[in-house]
Amino acid sequence: MNRVFSLLLILLPVLILIIYGKILLTSQEDVTALYDPKPIPQFQLLTLQGQEILPTEFDGISLLNVWASWCITCLVEHPFLTKLSQNNINLIGLNYKDSKSNAQQWLKKRGDPYKFSIHDPRGDLAFDLGVTGAPETFLVANQEIIGHIQGELNQEKWESIFVPLIRSIEAQNP
Amino acid sequence: MKAFIFTCSVLLCTSSFMQAEELYSFDDPRKEKRFYSLISEIRCPKCTSGSIASSDVPVSRDLKQRVYELIQSGSSNAEIKNYVKQRFGASSDYKPAFEGANYILWLGPFIFLGLMITLFFLRRRL
Repeated sequence: MNRVFSLLLILLPVLILIIYGKILLTSQEDVTALYDPKPIPQFQLLTLQGQEILPTEFDGISLLNVWASWCITCLVEHPFLTKLSQNNINLIGLNYKDSKSNAQQWLKKRGDPYKFSIHDPRGDLAFDLGVTGAPETFLVANQEIIGHIQGELNQEKWESIFVPLIRSIEAQNP
Repeated sequence: MKAFIFTCSVLLCTSSFMQAEELYSFDDPRKEKRFYSLISEIRCPKCTSGSIASSDVPVSRDLKQRVYELIQSGSSNAEIKNYVKQRFGASSDYKPAFEGANYILWLGPFIFLGLMITLFFLRRRL
């Protein structure tokens, strides 16, 4: 009987350590991948060109990428976004806390991968989306956000987080 | 010269205090108390650990401003926390709700302690 107790005294703390360790070691990417779907918040913003934005722009599968001309990491992810747009991915920009002229100049200099960019100078839409900084990218399916990546979007994150989500959506709506 | 430096220092200090007061001014001390209590209970979404009260990153500044506006417009603490939770997730609350998967956080240490005490006394009896 004493052996059973001794064993329990060792096993219990180990079990607790495993449970808490698993919670603590879950990577942030896995957490962001488990995104609770929610509709795109309502907003009254214009594009960088001053045009109105219809909700139907978010029909089908699209990416909403938060960027700014002052953001260094946005510059790093820009080539990958260009590659995505060349592969017919509906890429919409959310220009975050930036001046219109700086943003337009940035796009002119480096190339514009976006179908259009929403100009959010105060960060109102970004706040309602739960944006913590730039860059961040949301995966949108039929006006509903189904995935979210904080930081740079690259090939690895695209394939491990967004591609499986896109496949599951496509399987649901063949 | 000393008098000039002293005057400049006093002016600099008072101007920064005045600016700090202008940031969040309340007509009701209860609202002010609620504000400082709430911002210490909301997690900074950009930081590894820490509340928005102790953080000066842009998103924390936005959150503090929004909490201030919501308090001024008459929202309750629960409504404000829910507002933040809807946008920045359940982990934004430093005091997790006593529900679902959070039971393990709240009760885990007590269950563990209870088990250890039970085992200790059972072992002594044998």
